Amino acid sequence: MKKTFSIGGIHPNDSKISTNCPIEVLPAPSVVYISMAQHLGAPATPVVAAGDRVRTGQVIGEPAGFISAFVHSSVTGTVKSVAPRKDLAGNNVMHVEIAVEEDEWVDGVDNSDMIVREIPKDNKVIVDRIKACGVVGLGGATFPTHVKLCPPPDKKAEVLILNGAECEPYLTSDYRIMIEKPEQIVIGAGIMQQVLGVPRAVIGVEENKPKAIEALKAAVEKLKVLSASYSRIEVMTLKKKYPQGGEKQLIEAVTHREVKSMGLPIDVGAVVQNVATSLAVYDAVQKNKPLTTNTLTVTGDCLPGSKQRNYLFRIGTPLSFIIEKIGGIPEDAVKVVSGGPMMGKAISNLDATAVKGSSSLLFLTAEQTVRKPESNCIRCGKCAEACPMGLEPFLLNKLARNGMMEELEDNAVQDCIECGCCLYSCPANIPLLDVIRIAKGDVIRIIRGRSAKK
Amino acid sequence: MNKLLVSPSPHIHTRTSTASLMRDVVIALLPAVIVSVLFYGWSELMILGVSVVSCILLEYLITRFLLKGKNTVCDWSAAVTGVLLALNLPATSPWWMVLIGAVVAIGVAKMTFGGLGQNLFNPALVGRVFLLISFPAAMTDWSATKGFISGVDASSGATPLGIVKEGGIEALGNVDYLNMLFMNIGGSAGELSAIAIILGFIYLLARRVIRPHITLSIWATVFVFSGIMWLVNPAEYTDPVFNLLTGGILLGSVFMATDYVTSPMSAKGGIIFGVGIGLITMLIRYFGSFPEGMSFAILIMNSTVPLINKFCKSKKYGRA
Repeated sequence: MKKTFSIGGIHPNDSKISTNCPIEVLPAPSVVYISMAQHLGAPATPVVAAGDRVRTGQVIGEPAGFISAFVHSSVTGTVKSVAPRKDLAGNNVMHVEIAVEEDEWVDGVDNSDMIVREIPKDNKVIVDRIKACGVVGLGGATFPTHVKLCPPPDKKAEVLILNGAECEPYLTSDYRIMIEKPEQIVIGAGIMQQVLGVPRAVIGVEENKPKAIEALKAAVEKLKVLSASYSRIEVMTLKKKYPQGGEKQLIEAVTHREVKSMGLPIDVGAVVQNVATSLAVYDAVQKNKPLTTNTLTVTGDCLPGSKQRNYLFRIGTPLSFIIEKIGGIPEDAVKVVSGGPMMGKAISNLDATAVKGSSSLLFLTAEQTVRKPESNCIRCGKCAEACPMGLEPFLLNKLARNGMMEELEDNAVQDCIECGCCLYSCPANIPLLDVIRIAKGDVIRIIRGRSAKK
Repeated sequence: MNKLLVSPSPHIHTRTSTASLMRDVVIALLPAVIVSVLFYGWSELMILGVSVVSCILLEYLITRFLLKGKNTVCDWSAAVTGVLLALNLPATSPWWMVLIGAVVAIGVAKMTFGGLGQNLFNPALVGRVFLLISFPAAMTDWSATKGFISGVDASSGATPLGIVKEGGIEALGNVDYLNMLFMNIGGSAGELSAIAIILGFIYLLARRVIRPHITLSIWATVFVFSGIMWLVNPAEYTDPVFNLLTGGILLGSVFMATDYVTSPMSAKGGIIFGVGIGLITMLIRYFGSFPEGMSFAILIMNSTVPLINKFCKSKKYGRA
């Protein structure tokens, strides 16, 4: 039987229009702007200045704390400026502007297509390389990967889960790397499995990607012959249900364990990494290649089939450059989303640049995305039926609008994963998640304040 | 270039809306409506017309002139109430009685509570019960009206449950269950055909408008409870199949007990709600003074919904 999580979930049309578009290398623009805040945690500190010449793969930002990451140049060229610039949400973030010249890689990077299958024996070498190459989680949260791979000594990892669910409608970048680079992904999984010392690794893929499942299985079979350790990597078919790729949902689907409220996956012995992160880990450890590129889907129903793309882009590429490549924003698009339609962010600034975690540019029409006027709650319970955390969004909405903080906490508003299932399902168009998201922030602040006092 | 829209996620929305759900309920009611019009003719058509038009018009007038708020007629909920009220009345009901029912249903039971989503009791049922108490004779006049097709042997002027209540089980004689499945004996228009209602039920399930918990738990409770009583004393108590097919159990369990607004949110709550309705209905039928008890049972259980919602929470992720 296909596995899935047990509470809630929705079945939006998966709309994987760009599924058959092979990954295409996007040419470098004439100027890149590389953000210093491409990861969760403290933004990196720029270590270059205007006038410096940098090579592709060279460190231009150093971590500024325990939870932070290196940032590398994705191009060769001259630094024009190091200055604040608006990101896609319009916030000012430090960027390094580089005028692009002919590519010249830093020394020690294996830039060939040859697959390196021998994994280094020393775990410290592996973790150091992952850290030095600036690898962060590419599933959305961009949490520094080396931190996640070194759980605190009192926590024991038991299973590594690779997230290949790609449950968001429209997105196909993970799918493309799974069918184009399956062996690299499996080797990446093998590397992380070794570092964590876990007996089991599971690659979870939704059933609507049979070719990816096939490719990964074939890669595992092939690698098994080389090393017995790969025989402990399992490719698992998951049911198509959103949010299958939610960390907590995926853990439950694979291990039948639930992460406690406010807890971390490692509490139940699970470490979850995205398949794209696994590929970045492979590049870092096996090829010594820093994370300077990623795959991004350009899609939308209003984009003609010939313009659908899966691009291998360099970080720092302006979004407007990518949009120009496909001939501009489609006429009937009213919204451009970075990420999936359920959890992605609407872009307010097309001059912003692609970052490590960019996964898509999605064009939506007015008919698809404009909110309809809110009407009375008819108490149909569809939001509660859809909530994968088992919450009661209709109730949280009411409590939040009345500012009832204690009741909000009792009804677990802090457990909300902001997947959007409630708002998506509401027939009365009540902006449930908008209200709940704010209330969740307030309640978490109250909880933190309380534990800080103790 | 036009300005881009920026709003929080999610950026897409289901096509299902309040109006589409209510419209689906009306569509699901169509088989029952068609059967009742065919068998009861012009008088049934008049009742349906008066009921639906007055429900919609009343809601419009109240929202427009009394509440001076948003016009909510377009959400189809008043139409649902109108059709349900009509199907809950005898085919002999005069137009003014239907109108009074509509005034009570929409004016009292729905709009005074704040309109759709706020009412505690099912509006159509409040309308029906108000009429039943106010006009007991007219509300139990089950003599058949002239239909568009003949074949209804409903000339007896009493419902099977009424016959049992009056003269005991032996007065009923032989019951033809097959006949009851397709075109029942006397009763409210909506009780005519079990098949028509079950068709509607299947449609509602297939369109994911309702979940089956409430309906099935009512059926199971009625079946088990009357089954036990019947096995204990078949001379005194009517049998389970008879009880399921008569007295609006089907119409009530599929269309009225499953009303979103007045039923519990969770599946667990729905089962408790359904069992309660089944039990109260059977208690009224066997031991009460009314021949049937579905309307009262649903209304009584409606009043427990806030409590059920408070205590029947669904299982939360990561919390024991």
